[in-house]
Amino acid sequence: MSSAAPTHSGFVSPIFLIARRELAAYFDSSIAYVYTIAFVVLANSIFMNEFFLTGTVDMTGFFDLLPFLLAFFLPAITMRLWAEERKQRTVEVLLTLPIRTIQAVLGKYLAALALFLLFLVGSLPILFMLLSLGDPDPGLIASGYIGLVLFGSLFLAFGSFLSALSTDQIVAFVISTVLGFALVLFGNDQFVAVVDGVAPKLALGTLLLENFSIMPHYDAFVRGAIDLSSSLFFVLFTGLFLWLGALVLERNRG
Amino acid sequence: MIRVDNVSKRYGSTLAVDSVSFEIGAGEIVGFLGPNGAGKSTLLKMMSTWLPPTSGSISIDGHDVAKEPLAVRRSLGYLPEHNALYEGMRVDRFLDFMGKARGLRGALLKERIEWAVDKCSLQDVIGKRVSECSKGFRQRIGVGSALLHNPPVILLDEPTHGLDPLQVVAFREFLQSLSEGRAILFSSHILAEVVAISERLLIINGGKLLADSSLVELKAGADSRGIELEQAVLEIVRSDSSATAGATR
Repeated sequence: MSSAAPTHSGFVSPIFLIARRELAAYFDSSIAYVYTIAFVVLANSIFMNEFFLTGTVDMTGFFDLLPFLLAFFLPAITMRLWAEERKQRTVEVLLTLPIRTIQAVLGKYLAALALFLLFLVGSLPILFMLLSLGDPDPGLIASGYIGLVLFGSLFLAFGSFLSALSTDQIVAFVISTVLGFALVLFGNDQFVAVVDGVAPKLALGTLLLENFSIMPHYDAFVRGAIDLSSSLFFVLFTGLFLWLGALVLERNRG
Repeated sequence: MIRVDNVSKRYGSTLAVDSVSFEIGAGEIVGFLGPNGAGKSTLLKMMSTWLPPTSGSISIDGHDVAKEPLAVRRSLGYLPEHNALYEGMRVDRFLDFMGKARGLRGALLKERIEWAVDKCSLQDVIGKRVSECSKGFRQRIGVGSALLHNPPVILLDEPTHGLDPLQVVAFREFLQSLSEGRAILFSSHILAEVVAISERLLIINGGKLLADSSLVELKAGADSRGIELEQAVLEIVRSDSSATAGATR
């Protein structure tokens, strides 16, 4: 007696299979529609506000503010990834299939990333509007979008890791949002100035900015510099959180 | 095809499975009997690669569970205790996903899904979402999805849970039709079900394997003592006082 299944289906194939299932789950439950519409409306509102205040034909102000919005929206995407699997007990079904845990993690992550990229597609009308109104710097805009994708990739991996730690998606959402928001806030110039002003000798704001915020890495892209060290920072930490997520799932079996 | 060798599982100070050993060969349908909390599900979870044993070794179809988990999973059709399914998925898409996850593609996948739908009588719910299906249908969806890849070893944890008496009879016939060349182990806490389906019983309580006997032997033993089979099994379950009192060491 032998199994009907072929013994090898490659490393990538199960990742895409799980990504497709996960993406379908987002759209089946209308989560994807609600999040995308809400994000596009808010992101475009932020841009319009900045655009009419500054009157400049660029997206720098938009890229500066978007991380605050993403610190809320990206945990909303990732909160269910593993917490829901554990709550519904489907995680046992999934991780006793002939699939490696890291493949399952990557598949779910890929689905979340696809939904995030759909968010960004929703901001393209801004770009078209700017092109019709003036002569924006295409390099600056492209660099900003690359920064956003890297920023989002890291936040999604972080959220996926926190979801793997929790059985309750609301808990995963709250922790991801609070920590993510803190990482963004620590890089905000006004926040740094206020915190430094409270205890100038400690310079706590600067300390948080330099050691804990991811914003200096992101800001490099917003200012038009596709910096190798910042790119590596995002890629390495994204990989680290995905690997940690797989590790947590392996250790928390049962 | 299934070899469990001196396997134990400890959760902190609680010994959930205590030095259990048995073997199951091809063509055997074995019932795993014991009260709730006896350690049946823990043992099946270890055999499925979901839980690592604290000590001992398990081999499925010649593959070690700890060293070759993917090979074990390819050889295994496993229905977990709570039969958790993706609620939002349509039944046909769920079967398609489970088949593809096990490496089935194209005509073979289509053929195996049609086989599962036919054997598990899923025609009435194939286009429905899993969340719309009754408990009996859900159980049959779980069984069908576990057998899609025609596995040589089948582990079913409480497979008749949620089935009505007629469905239990149909399930028994279905399982017996699958037995040729396969090792099948299923758990239950209901003696009548185990007796109706299997030829051999493993009786477990408090994490200890208390009996590994053919049904014929058990019946003969009960007859020779002038007691019912149920009484004989109860006596075995109660024979280990430490087991009945719980397995905290």
